[in-house]
Amino acid sequence: MIAAVVIPAFDLRAALRLKPGLQTKPVALAPLPGKEQLVGSVTAAAQAAGVRPGMRLGEALALCPTLELVEQDPATAEQSWEEILRRLEDAGFAVEPVEPGTVYFETKGVERLYGGLEPALKRALAAVGSVWDAQAGAADRRFAALAAANVARPGQALVVSDDRTRTFLAPLPLTLLPLEHERYAQLEELGVKTIGQLAGLPGGAVAERLGPAGRRAWSLARGEHDGKVAPRRPASALHETLEFPEAVANEHTLRRGLGVLVDRLLARPERAGRPPRKVAVWARLVGGASWRRTVTLREPTADPARLRAALAPKLAELPAPALKLRLEIAELAEHTGEQLELVAAEGEVMKGKLREGLRQVRAAVGAGGVSTVVEVAPWSRVPEARALLVPRDD
Amino acid sequence: MVTRTGSARTARTARRLNAPRPALVEAQAGGIPRKVNRQSVAAVREEWRVVDRWWTDDPIARRYFDVVLETGENTVVYRDDENGSWFTQRA
Repeated sequence: MIAAVVIPAFDLRAALRLKPGLQTKPVALAPLPGKEQLVGSVTAAAQAAGVRPGMRLGEALALCPTLELVEQDPATAEQSWEEILRRLEDAGFAVEPVEPGTVYFETKGVERLYGGLEPALKRALAAVGSVWDAQAGAADRRFAALAAANVARPGQALVVSDDRTRTFLAPLPLTLLPLEHERYAQLEELGVKTIGQLAGLPGGAVAERLGPAGRRAWSLARGEHDGKVAPRRPASALHETLEFPEAVANEHTLRRGLGVLVDRLLARPERAGRPPRKVAVWARLVGGASWRRTVTLREPTADPARLRAALAPKLAELPAPALKLRLEIAELAEHTGEQLELVAAEGEVMKGKLREGLRQVRAAVGAGGVSTVVEVAPWSRVPEARALLVPRDD
Repeated sequence: MVTRTGSARTARTARRLNAPRPALVEAQAGGIPRKVNRQSVAAVREEWRVVDRWWTDDPIARRYFDVVLETGENTVVYRDDENGSWFTQRA
């Protein structure tokens, strides 16, 4: 069977870890700076006041004037999630994390280890820890297991046998299906409000109306096969930290600090000569907030200069002075060597490579994804009049 | 013949870099921000005015504040004296 463990509103719980007094009050995750003004996950007290995740900030505050907004703490959330995954792995579960707060694992091996399915699920919930109020579900299909985990009560496990899958899914709301928000509204307008009603529709008609995503949701609603669990390879724990004697905002100092961390990290013997593929730079900011940026390198490299060049520009995005800087290797490459060019590219060859790179970016993000900054009035006292972003097609 | 999908016009439109974004600001009696986007202001580092294009139909009169929030975040906000609204912007 496949099991799913879900921690509802994981990002909010992680942000409230150091402020336990707020857990019983109406609290919502504040929108990210520069993003749309929508609230994130909300506490039960906020939900009781009518606030829903994804609601406009103004509407949420109008519904619940006492609503407190908590800043997102992605570094703590990521760290807490990694700790949970490691505890599950230490207990013998080969986990496939889907997103922070949702994880799958195959129960076949661990059933023997713990003497049955239910004891294994209880062990998984214990490994997660009671403070997270995790919910577990198990079924023969991934989606059914996830749905079971979502309807289970905190700290409990719900097992759905294969012959009862469709009956179990039928009365559940459509929102459990991985569909875009507009699709739920579209289906509700058509009178389809439950998974069972969607499963009862002809597949061809659903595909025609809702496209491939709708067809997939229909297939999930019918309890059809939806893939196996692909356990992750446990992440490496390679990291180096630099604590500053006082808060540092100067980019030059931060860059020097980063250079030291790169050298230290590359010197670690656990790396066994393998170059990093994905690295993360993390900072603890003045006031207790955290900041983290992950960089996936186009080519894994152990060249300190290239790593510094890839990571240093991220430091300019630090929103506040840093008290601590940490560099982590999130993923190492398999190989220990790389094929170098005999003759370094320059001139037309270099321009060709640049054009190819721009083509790849355009292919990934669409036309208009590559722009040039054109200074039109750099002397202007009005900041937005100084430069334009002009899309390039060449 | 292969035609391009999507709106070429949208893709090719130049955009202003660093355009101001609306902000929720509570100000003290002197017009100095006390809270920015519901976060208390710990210190005002700098204050300046920008008055420009007063000879056009679209004059600019702004009072900028470079502030440090209680979370340690630095931000720049300004009050548009033409319509009384607040904005954040990287100055």
